[in-house]
Amino acid sequence: MSKPMPFQRVEGEEIMALGNSSCQGCGHAILARIAFKVLGKNTVYTSVPGCIWIALQSSIPLYWRGTVFEGGGALISGISNGLEATGKEMNVVGFYGDGGTADIGLQALSAAAERNENVIMICADNEAYMNTGGQRSGLTPIYASTTTTPVASESRGKKSNKKNVPFIMAAHNIPYVATASIAYPNDLVGKLQYAKQLKGFKYLHVQSTCPTGWGFDSARTIKVARLMVESGMWPLYEVTEGNNFKLTYKPRELKPVKEALSQQSRFRHLDEKEYEYIQEQVIMKWKQLSEMDGKKLPI
Amino acid sequence: MKHMELMVGNKAVAYGAKLARVQVISAYPITPQTTIVQYLAEFVAEGELKARFIEVESELSAMVAVQGASFAGARVFTATSGPGLLLMHHPMMEGSDLPVVMSVVHRSNKSMQPDHSDLMAQRDNGWIQLYCENNQEALDTALMSYKIAEDSRQTVPTIFGIDGYILSYTAEPVEIPDQEKVDEWLPPLKAPWAPDINISVQEWRRRQGRMSGSQKAWIDHDTKFRNSLGIIKEAHASFEKTFGRGYGNGLLEEYNCENAEAVIIAMGTIASTARSVVDDLQKEGKRVGLVKLKCYRPFPAEEIRNLAKKYHAIGVIDRNVSLGSNGNVFNESRSAVYDMVERPKILGFHTGMAGSEVTPQIISKIAEKTLKSIKEPVDPIVEWVGGA
Repeated sequence: MSKPMPFQRVEGEEIMALGNSSCQGCGHAILARIAFKVLGKNTVYTSVPGCIWIALQSSIPLYWRGTVFEGGGALISGISNGLEATGKEMNVVGFYGDGGTADIGLQALSAAAERNENVIMICADNEAYMNTGGQRSGLTPIYASTTTTPVASESRGKKSNKKNVPFIMAAHNIPYVATASIAYPNDLVGKLQYAKQLKGFKYLHVQSTCPTGWGFDSARTIKVARLMVESGMWPLYEVTEGNNFKLTYKPRELKPVKEALSQQSRFRHLDEKEYEYIQEQVIMKWKQLSEMDGKKLPI
Repeated sequence: MKHMELMVGNKAVAYGAKLARVQVISAYPITPQTTIVQYLAEFVAEGELKARFIEVESELSAMVAVQGASFAGARVFTATSGPGLLLMHHPMMEGSDLPVVMSVVHRSNKSMQPDHSDLMAQRDNGWIQLYCENNQEALDTALMSYKIAEDSRQTVPTIFGIDGYILSYTAEPVEIPDQEKVDEWLPPLKAPWAPDINISVQEWRRRQGRMSGSQKAWIDHDTKFRNSLGIIKEAHASFEKTFGRGYGNGLLEEYNCENAEAVIIAMGTIASTARSVVDDLQKEGKRVGLVKLKCYRPFPAEEIRNLAKKYHAIGVIDRNVSLGSNGNVFNESRSAVYDMVERPKILGFHTGMAGSEVTPQIISKIAEKTLKSIKEPVDPIVEWVGGA
């Protein structure tokens, strides 16, 4: 299992160049800085359309290839096999967003996991299609106002719950699945380091807060991300060796979801009943996860 | 000594990939391509071919996976048919800088039987398209495709097509070239664009051949793609010299044209039937020859103009249709000769669609009408033949 480590103690040089064209306070820039320092120079990374390709690619000086939106899982598979066929050992990383992972990219991703390709897949989850202007995705939480689920007289935001992609990936019985948050860098570093030394398919699903799309002050990126974890909206855990489930962050008491959600204008319209629904869901899920903690998933 | 074996077209294709020592294969089964995948999987399983086989969940992923492996520096192969090819369209367009080689076993969009509508739908995306007449040509074209795609001056993805069923599941004697001879002729792929920790990222970036971002990128791509015509001819000449077998000049072949006043143009297996038809007609004193078009993309317009200088009428057989327009080869042949002062008649014939049989009688009718058009006006200029 992973061991947390402070970012400052990670050996090797910084990969991210200074300056990038992401929005002020973008969580992805923090995630990329951490991820690529841990992975190091001997890394090929790949993109599909999304915020990361558009805003960050030019400031990540690594071997890189992009492909079609729906092909991310296949691209890392091909590169990994091609490198092995030509006798090279390099980390192969897919670094995709909501669409490239959970929606249009899910088919190729699932197949790559099922084949247990030797790659690392990082989902930078900002809970909507932010690069195209904040449309809802499969990872958008219920009731969130997005540009395709606007709040108006006939609409209360997104109608359905967030897709549980980490559990979908865990169901593939792969060597490693973990959730992480940009507000918990020690935990994130430890998980990346653990993933890096494993053979086979490694999946990291990282919540990356988005001031532009979620509607909060860009100075509060980390604060909001932390509240999402502290409230149980985004639990941190890992699944090792195919099915060993372990919570990696266990607060004595969860903060009320209202504390986290009221910071974000996408939830500004929520009434008490809606808050209550989300709160009940979170408590129920947290209870289930706590019961599973340290046990084996039925996979 | 020649090593001959009786094999179906799909096996000839698989042998081609094996002789080329492909390193990464990815494909998704679809009729009538399926057995290519099975033969290759067997070669790999039995240790006859040292390659990695990525068993993907769709044709789209097959295309992206071989592009990824090609990017990583490996020699790659994939194969598909009809609908599978259509699913590949997006990544084919997006990753057309890499020397991927693909076999297409033609399947109509209106039946599982062959016509060229599948591959013609990919005509605008910068892939070389070569059409094959028989199983020997399929194997030989597989090898030539690697020579063409991986040329050190420029890399261009290459497709070679065989007609589904007519070749894919029909056995013919095929000469299998000597592996050592192939190895010498087709050395391992050099891929300066591949990631390599021993070169700096800055240097590596300079080596990338991708073209995107502006109109200039389109101009550069088009220029590069057109240059492929010369490379195809060179690769073909070198193949012919080494292996003693050739297919015209690599772009097209004129058959029994010495005394011809008119020619018919045919592609794929129709060309095979057409050979015997023009032989018979010539015996009757009818001066009509055959032009087999092997390369459709890039379009060999100069070669078509050379035909136009020699013959008074050209009957183009299109096993495809651009709905609402005409056959693609007809349209492009006419366009190629438009600026010539003295132009031949060019007639169009659609036939063999959705696998409908193209008999010697049909081809004979086409040839006679083409010949007749020299002396008198014929109507219509474009018509559908057969397929009742």
